[in-house]
Amino acid sequence: MIAEQLPQTPLVRPHRQSFLHIAWRVISARPSRILGLVIIVFFALMAIVGPLLYPHNLPINPNAIYAPPSLRYPLGTDFEGTSNLALIVTGARYVLFAALMAALFTVFFGTTIGLVSGYFLGPADTILMRITDFILTIPGFPLLVVLSTVWNFGQPIAMGFVLGITGWGGLARAVRSQTLSLRERGFIEAARGLGLPWWQIVFWEILPNMGPYIAMNLLVSITGGIYAEVGLFYLGVVPFHVNNWGVMLNLAVFTGGAMQSPQALPYLLSPLVCILLLTLGVVLFLDAMDEMFNPRLREG
Amino acid sequence: MQLARRIVVRLFGGAIMVLVVAIFTFFLVRLMPGNPVAAEYNTLIMRGMTPVQAADEVRVMYGYIPHEPLIDQYFHYLWQLLHFNLGQSISYEGVSVLHIVLSDAPWTIVLVLLGLITSFILGVTAGVIAAVKRSSGIGNVLTVSGSLLHGIPQFVVALLLAFLFTTLWPIFPFGAPYNASLTAGFNLPFIGSVAYHAILPVSAYAISSYGGWMLTMKSSVISVLGDDFVLAAELRGVKPRIRFGYIARNAILPLFTVFALSLGFMFGGSLFIENIFDYNGLGNLLVTSISNRDYPLMSGAFLFITIAVILSNIVADFLYSVVDPRIRRST
Repeated sequence: MIAEQLPQTPLVRPHRQSFLHIAWRVISARPSRILGLVIIVFFALMAIVGPLLYPHNLPINPNAIYAPPSLRYPLGTDFEGTSNLALIVTGARYVLFAALMAALFTVFFGTTIGLVSGYFLGPADTILMRITDFILTIPGFPLLVVLSTVWNFGQPIAMGFVLGITGWGGLARAVRSQTLSLRERGFIEAARGLGLPWWQIVFWEILPNMGPYIAMNLLVSITGGIYAEVGLFYLGVVPFHVNNWGVMLNLAVFTGGAMQSPQALPYLLSPLVCILLLTLGVVLFLDAMDEMFNPRLREG
Repeated sequence: MQLARRIVVRLFGGAIMVLVVAIFTFFLVRLMPGNPVAAEYNTLIMRGMTPVQAADEVRVMYGYIPHEPLIDQYFHYLWQLLHFNLGQSISYEGVSVLHIVLSDAPWTIVLVLLGLITSFILGVTAGVIAAVKRSSGIGNVLTVSGSLLHGIPQFVVALLLAFLFTTLWPIFPFGAPYNASLTAGFNLPFIGSVAYHAILPVSAYAISSYGGWMLTMKSSVISVLGDDFVLAAELRGVKPRIRFGYIARNAILPLFTVFALSLGFMFGGSLFIENIFDYNGLGNLLVTSISNRDYPLMSGAFLFITIAVILSNIVADFLYSVVDPRIRRST
């Protein structure tokens, strides 16, 4: 009716920017964030296409054992004369894929348990929180090491699953406490009044409010997963099925004697530097994610 | 009185947790491919032992016999556990697991606690400075250092330290808690040697957990800075140094809730740090026992790491109630 009376008023279209647009603006605000994104994309590409660039059995060269970095071997060679660069690139897939799986499982278990526990309260909450306390208290890494005696970590998905099972405690606690405050809010009351089923309230109404927090947790869990699995392979308690960064570290330290002789040093340093670089990328990018999801932090 | 009751309740909860872990390791060893207990029994028979002797031998090692019903095995195992009998080691033949574990546990606990205290003090101090001077260069540098160190995994820290200070510049010794030629006891050279050998591992623990404390303290101080009592103190003309004390005492409280997480992290890190520096402790014991397929020792080491974490958690909980008067009075 008002629109009919005032036909000359131009329609104000809601000025909404797409998420990608906002994301790009936030990231490009600081060069460090672009660097972080570039590092992450670089490693992701390495994991996806890397193994396709090299033959299945990497060539060995008996004349170039522990060769120093050169044009032919940019990162030097290992104890068989295989290029370290090739080992890094082909080893990235297992490491990153397992870490992604670990993060997905962590987020899945942590979010579900936290939501259910915080929404239903009562006995379900008591039992779930007891389990969560238990998971939080048991030292996770020694548990993984002990589990490695019975569990086959050959497939990245199996590795990811175990890392997820042992690592969801902290997230579940945080999600529970956020659920506790969200469930008292008006829109949840309204949803309950509408007679929506519980799963719809929990997963469609409450969960999206924690999206940003969970997304950041996913990224942090990926790095956590990388450390844990590389650590397991480094200690040598898990049988080596495939080449990956942890196996490289193990062989460099325990068979290559990299701690005593400098010739095996490139073999030790290449996976270490990759891990540090990826960490740096994630730390730099997290800063952007914080701002992307939190409008209050966003600069005009 | 109420504090005592609280501690008793926590101890009881801890005991249940230890029991659950014991159940877990029992079934884990049972579930292992090839059933090591039965395998041990068979090897002993092959060596010419009579079945009775072999069964006795296996019971000494694992606390139960392979061919009795599972439930009987389980109760035998628990019964032995209640008498602090963790069985006998396979790789150190004839030595009881409890003996090995008890001789290694103090080194791990002392090192972890030293690292924890060092990183806590450094992290909290740096966190306060970073929060107060957050818009200046120092604050930024501290924050970035915290985020980066927080992100670097423990084994990378330990490997770098070991490489830099034992190989490249051999300033510090490698391995062993003390110089073996010295006699153990309360004499100066011995304690000096222990400290000298502990510097690198303790630094590795401290560096790897410093970032977490620093970042948590920073955000906690920033949130306390906005509180009314800070403004009130400022208006009353309270000296900055004393005001600083007010802020720190309030901001430090949330850090105690992070303790549970960090203790597991620290004791978990002992696996890497002790392995890399070749230091005798529970972590190294766990790793070597798995490589040697010494499962009684593995169960014992894991059980003791868990007990250490649970006990330190109870101590942290107790400290929290000492530090926070609200908890002290309400419970």
